[in-house]
Amino acid sequence: MKIAIQGIGVVGGFGTGVADMRQALLSGVSNRSSVHLSNCGEPLDLSALRAETSRLNDFVPIKAQRRIDNFSKLGLLGAYLALEDAGVLAEGPQERLGVVIASGYGATGITYAFLDSFINDGDICASPTYFANSVHNSAAAYISIMLGATGPSSTVSQFHLSVPSALQTAWLWLAEGRVDRVLFGAVDELSELIGYAWYRQRGRADHSDMIPLVTGRESAIPGEGAAFLLLSRQEEVQGGYCLIDHVTTGRFLKPGFLRTPDELLILGADGRRDMGANYAALTEKSNIACFTPLYGSMPAGPAFDLAVASLMLKEGKTFASPGGSECDFPAQVVPGGSSLEGSRVSSLTLSDDDGYGLVNLTQL
Amino acid sequence: MTSRPVAITGMGCICAAGNNLDDSMASMFRGTRDPAPPLNFFSNHPIRYPVFEARDFVEPPDLLRTSALGLHAAKEALADAGLDQDFLNTLRVGVCVGTTVGCAISNETFCREYRSLSAPGMAPLERILRSNPAAVIAREFGFSGPCQTIVNACSSGTDAVGLAASWIRTGACDIALAGGADELGRITYIGFIALLIADESHCKPFDANRKGLNLGEAGAMLVLESEQVRKLRKKKARSFVLGYGSACDAYHLTAPRPDGAGLKSAIAEALACNNTDPASIAFVNAHGTGTPENDRVETRVLAEVLPGVPFLSTKGYTGHTLGAAGAIEAVFTVACLERGAIPANIGFATPDPELGGTPVTENTSFRGTVALSESLAFGGNNSVLIFGTAGGE
Repeated sequence: MKIAIQGIGVVGGFGTGVADMRQALLSGVSNRSSVHLSNCGEPLDLSALRAETSRLNDFVPIKAQRRIDNFSKLGLLGAYLALEDAGVLAEGPQERLGVVIASGYGATGITYAFLDSFINDGDICASPTYFANSVHNSAAAYISIMLGATGPSSTVSQFHLSVPSALQTAWLWLAEGRVDRVLFGAVDELSELIGYAWYRQRGRADHSDMIPLVTGRESAIPGEGAAFLLLSRQEEVQGGYCLIDHVTTGRFLKPGFLRTPDELLILGADGRRDMGANYAALTEKSNIACFTPLYGSMPAGPAFDLAVASLMLKEGKTFASPGGSECDFPAQVVPGGSSLEGSRVSSLTLSDDDGYGLVNLTQL
Repeated sequence: MTSRPVAITGMGCICAAGNNLDDSMASMFRGTRDPAPPLNFFSNHPIRYPVFEARDFVEPPDLLRTSALGLHAAKEALADAGLDQDFLNTLRVGVCVGTTVGCAISNETFCREYRSLSAPGMAPLERILRSNPAAVIAREFGFSGPCQTIVNACSSGTDAVGLAASWIRTGACDIALAGGADELGRITYIGFIALLIADESHCKPFDANRKGLNLGEAGAMLVLESEQVRKLRKKKARSFVLGYGSACDAYHLTAPRPDGAGLKSAIAEALACNNTDPASIAFVNAHGTGTPENDRVETRVLAEVLPGVPFLSTKGYTGHTLGAAGAIEAVFTVACLERGAIPANIGFATPDPELGGTPVTENTSFRGTVALSESLAFGGNNSVLIFGTAGGE
């Protein structure tokens, strides 16, 4: 079975929606912002690629958003944008729609707000609203509620392999006929404490821009956002972006998992110094591209890679990898504007505990 | 679409009722329970709510307690299945674990230090980041199959078993370790009290005077095995996963849909998987949290969909173990099928006329080889598993 990607909904440092993402792909530039850290010895603003959710007002009345936290707003916006992009937003309640969400960190902002509520005022003053919103599947729940989606719903948290792992579930649901469509999405938010944790683990980047195809350099910039794909069985839809052929996960220390070095590999390399060498070693002599500088480093990142791959396959040509011309990988960086006719594109994600996720996509 | 039964060849668990499956079953059939205010953490809440702690269990310092509970259960399950490391090394083995706490990037000490401007160290968060429950088990045994941690609140464990069964059916792996794990901690303890759904006394599932849940902690794992591998090693199944269904209420973040439509859909899907006759269900291991809303919706659905089928909640023995609940209840369901008996629904004394029925009030023998276990969750998730001891032989 092959899966068709019918619609894409993205919000991230590059902006909101496919048009903004495409513009960023063409220009190679995203809007740099920051996350304010009030306590790192002294206050500092950590460079970041932030997402903003004001366009959610187009889909959900502001009054109905009042108890929804930032994490779930990101998810809701991504979901609505994907349905709008697929042209199915007006279809009403979705009884045969499954919802699968991937998130590395979950709703960390509201989780720490919940902790604040009893740290500040005692256990008896804990906020029930904050607690209810802090569960990992809160975004999936809000999406199901707002869309009337009564099919199965699942949220997966596998850190940097959350996206390929969750995509396997979406695939299974379609293959088993449990649902007609799956709204698949990845969400991660950059709360202050995640920003602080990032800063403590990685420090400030030693380069002003992300240069993910250079090993031995720390250039990662934290990101946040949501990337959603509306998925259907190939035989049941017309149009859309492209097809997902396979999704595999495993351990890259076991040899032989990359059997298709001729196709274009979009790498999840994101400027983390400790991961660059692994990507470089595994993609020797491959044709590669990398777009993480447009949305930053986050566990949800591979879902943005899938969105970019979809756009490339639909348009039949490549986009240039942002991040300048610097590359010391023993691989061929594919230039922008190259033809993709008849070609496959794959998205490769590595985790820091020798796991990998590989998603193979083809043209419709 | 019907789906093949999937063999269960091993099980393990740890909870307040016992440090392994045999002890837990014996404890339940003795009718014993001992919830008490938490010993492993402190709360300044003026009411000391009882909880079910796995008191004898001590986690290693480098792992979250949640992941250690899951690993403990995984080791018992693999031993029960008779699978040794050398043989496992020749197979593609997947791991699917449900949890709530095990993926939460939250640590109170870290948060307190940050708020007090003392620039906390990263040790608490680094411990969380290396403790993803499924990854911990896969890493421990060197498994290279699919690895997934499901965070669907209180249905996580049920969903993990259901998904892993699909992995086996589709050939994604030869063997899957599936289950759930969750630890007790201050954050969930305070959270459920804040939601006003915790009982100040021992929980009373399905009782007219029920006031809510008691939290618990547990790890529970099942070994699911492909027919190919089972034939190779001539291994008899303990039971089979006959069906799995799940559906979302799309109604409210924390309350179940009053008409139970999502639960009905999940039950219908699970029954349809293997064309299971509802009349063949010997008993239902219900979610039965002891909250007014859950028990009302659940019994009304059971009365409508599976009228007359005996049901119980085992949460009176274990507490509500959140992401582990569906897994430990799956393990108990299979063990009860093997035993031909279910324990009394402890805590129940007074029938509630608003409910759709009353649970079993004493240890009860049954005839039949099929049983159903169900979970309802925050987010509106409803998930159902059907097990049968004779389904696939």
